[in-house]
Amino acid sequence: MAYRDGVPAIEIRRDTPGLLRLFTALTAVVAVVLLTALTVVMISVRDQVRLIGRDAAPQAATAADLYFALSDLDAQVTRILLAGDGDESASSRIDALGVYRDRGYQADRDLQSSTADSAVTLRLMDGLAVYRQRVGQALAAPSAADRLGYWTQATNLLHQRLLPDAQRLREQSQRRLDDAYAQKSATETTGTAVAVLLGGALVALLIFLQIWMARRFHRLWNPALLAATAISLLLALSATVVLQLQSRQLADGRDAGLGPHLALSELRALGYDAAADTGRYLVSANLSYYRDDFTAKSDCLTGDPACKIRSLDRALSSGSASVTAAASARGGLAQVAGPVAAGRWAAYQAVHQRILALADSGKTAEAVGLLTGIRRGDAAFDFAYFDASVADATETRRQHFDRSLRAAETTLTGWSWLPTLFLTAVLSLLPLAVRPRLAEYR
Amino acid sequence: MRLRVLAVLAPLVLALTACDTPAEPEPPIACASGAVSGQGSSAQTNAVNAWIKAYQIACADAAVAYTSTGSGAGVRAFIEGTGDFAGTDTPLAGTDLQRAGTRCGGPVVHLPLVIGPIALAYNVAGVGDLRLTPQTIAGIFSGTVTAWNDPAIAGDNPGTVLPATKIRTVHRSDGSGTTANFLRYLTAAAPSSWPHGSGSDWPLPGGDGLRGSHRVVAAIARTDGAIGYVESSYARVTDLPTVRVGTPDGSWAQATDEAAAQTIASAQVSDDLRLEIDYTAATAGAYPIVQVTYELVCRTKITPVTRSFLTYAAGRAGQQAAEQAGYAPLPPALQTQVTQAIATLG
Repeated sequence: MAYRDGVPAIEIRRDTPGLLRLFTALTAVVAVVLLTALTVVMISVRDQVRLIGRDAAPQAATAADLYFALSDLDAQVTRILLAGDGDESASSRIDALGVYRDRGYQADRDLQSSTADSAVTLRLMDGLAVYRQRVGQALAAPSAADRLGYWTQATNLLHQRLLPDAQRLREQSQRRLDDAYAQKSATETTGTAVAVLLGGALVALLIFLQIWMARRFHRLWNPALLAATAISLLLALSATVVLQLQSRQLADGRDAGLGPHLALSELRALGYDAAADTGRYLVSANLSYYRDDFTAKSDCLTGDPACKIRSLDRALSSGSASVTAAASARGGLAQVAGPVAAGRWAAYQAVHQRILALADSGKTAEAVGLLTGIRRGDAAFDFAYFDASVADATETRRQHFDRSLRAAETTLTGWSWLPTLFLTAVLSLLPLAVRPRLAEYR
Repeated sequence: MRLRVLAVLAPLVLALTACDTPAEPEPPIACASGAVSGQGSSAQTNAVNAWIKAYQIACADAAVAYTSTGSGAGVRAFIEGTGDFAGTDTPLAGTDLQRAGTRCGGPVVHLPLVIGPIALAYNVAGVGDLRLTPQTIAGIFSGTVTAWNDPAIAGDNPGTVLPATKIRTVHRSDGSGTTANFLRYLTAAAPSSWPHGSGSDWPLPGGDGLRGSHRVVAAIARTDGAIGYVESSYARVTDLPTVRVGTPDGSWAQATDEAAAQTIASAQVSDDLRLEIDYTAATAGAYPIVQVTYELVCRTKITPVTRSFLTYAAGRAGQQAAEQAGYAPLPPALQTQVTQAIATLG
């Protein structure tokens, strides 16, 4: 053994077998590093896709659903009070009671499954209990004045405490979803860099080895090395394609599916709350506050610049301003739900104005009839007609996201173990390629 | 270069992916244009309203109206020529059937489209699960069983601690199909305990009589010791407990949509689709106190839009809408018969 300064020296043999072993070892090391890095990246991306699709996105949808359920809960209370105890409106009252009950369950279920801010969730549960107590008191109140008093408390509680808290949960869940997308994007960038750089390095080393061996051993082709090179190239390119493809699939799911779905849920909840203002106007004996409130909400539904609800500006961020704008509720129904929904809301607005005009001229019974009737041109039908179009659009967007998610998950299928398979093949082919040449030197 | 590589390789990768098949869509409503109107039973109002909304949303050129006047008034109006169909909780017979035939210039068809259980809702301190045989039910509503700890009730509920609270029966003071169906059940299932006959009007004095099921259920909810009969959707939305009714096979049936549908499924169906329910038949799990509402239509004189509307109502989507409105869906075999019958109208 040779020594340098008293320390055993590692001699690099510069003869052919030594160089062959060195280049082979280097190639194998790069292959192992690529295998490890690619496997880690693919597993991370797969887990992040699952987090988005099975956790963050459902949570965002649940928070949006909670907001909608609370909005409609109060709308049903208004219907119940308007129906009163009359024989003719008995069926309307029992229908409204049934929907009130269902929305209550919906809100309870959404709160139960919420994994967001526990303090806000607890506050909502407590507030909902108080709201139900006030509604019960309103329905059982002995006089119209008491009924109005308890109902005012209930609807104030809902709008000033419950809905803002539900809005907070909605915003938190959307932020979490944005963060999940951002983290996945960072992992994809890393994975693409690994595939391109390390994969490229491996392919380059294999080609170099092929050329070097061809020159040293005067043999043109080494089939095992050729196969290893082809497999490495396929792996690097496929990994890059897979990462890019699932990224586009999930981004499309967000931009054309989930983002608009959440915006539509918000607009739908706003629509329910606005329509309830028509009934609140009648229950409160024509209080102008509810006329103005309807106008303010309707401005947002039509995308009017006068809309003052700031939360509508929020949308799932894609980084692209135009894409973010298209998925935002700020643009109103026409932008997110299409002209049919916008047209049907305009029709409801018209009947709302007729109802208010009847109420203002003292024809309250006629106004209630126009509000609760289900003929074309009656408010209850026109609102159901509008809601059907928004519900269709919302469901279409949700299905789009589900399809994109399934496509992304399918694209990633097998990629937690495919790098191991490919690179094990490469690592097996390397000794097959060099052993016969090394044997010539024994 | 990069795009070409992607274009070449993407198919290889995509070969590993499965194509996503879209979900099977709901078959669309076969719309017709025009106006159709009906009147009658108030018990089916919520179901009919749900159908009207859905039908009008899907069919832009159709308009449907239904007036909830009660079965009797609805049938009278139909006989006099008003409306394209009438809702009735009791099939026509005798003079009414003849006169309806005269109006139609031919046979009248009864289409059973809305069914549901009639629940016995109660409010008794400390009693969460209550079982009653038909004989005990008849005794309670005829006034011979007057306290909740009566031996008849105790015998139906061994091991249950029953209070000595006075029983307060609540019934409909207005003529109703719910009363008619409840009394029809008592007459058939407990003839010796209920000799007071049937009909749309409550036959006995005493008890609390109230107009409308919504007032009946409100009275039960505010009165300790109360029991009354209502469409089960009323009991459900007010969270009132309901009685498990004894059946001939010795079991105790709950007032659920599925249990009611079992009773309907075992009913005899006449050529014109009138149902003959055998309340003494032993079908395990079948809830016997049921209400069936029929739509009366003329067999040979029916407009396309009326047929289209009724086809939707009898179909899967229509029956789902009725279920969401608090009724039981038609059993599959009966649904098929009704749909086929509608297809032959006109």
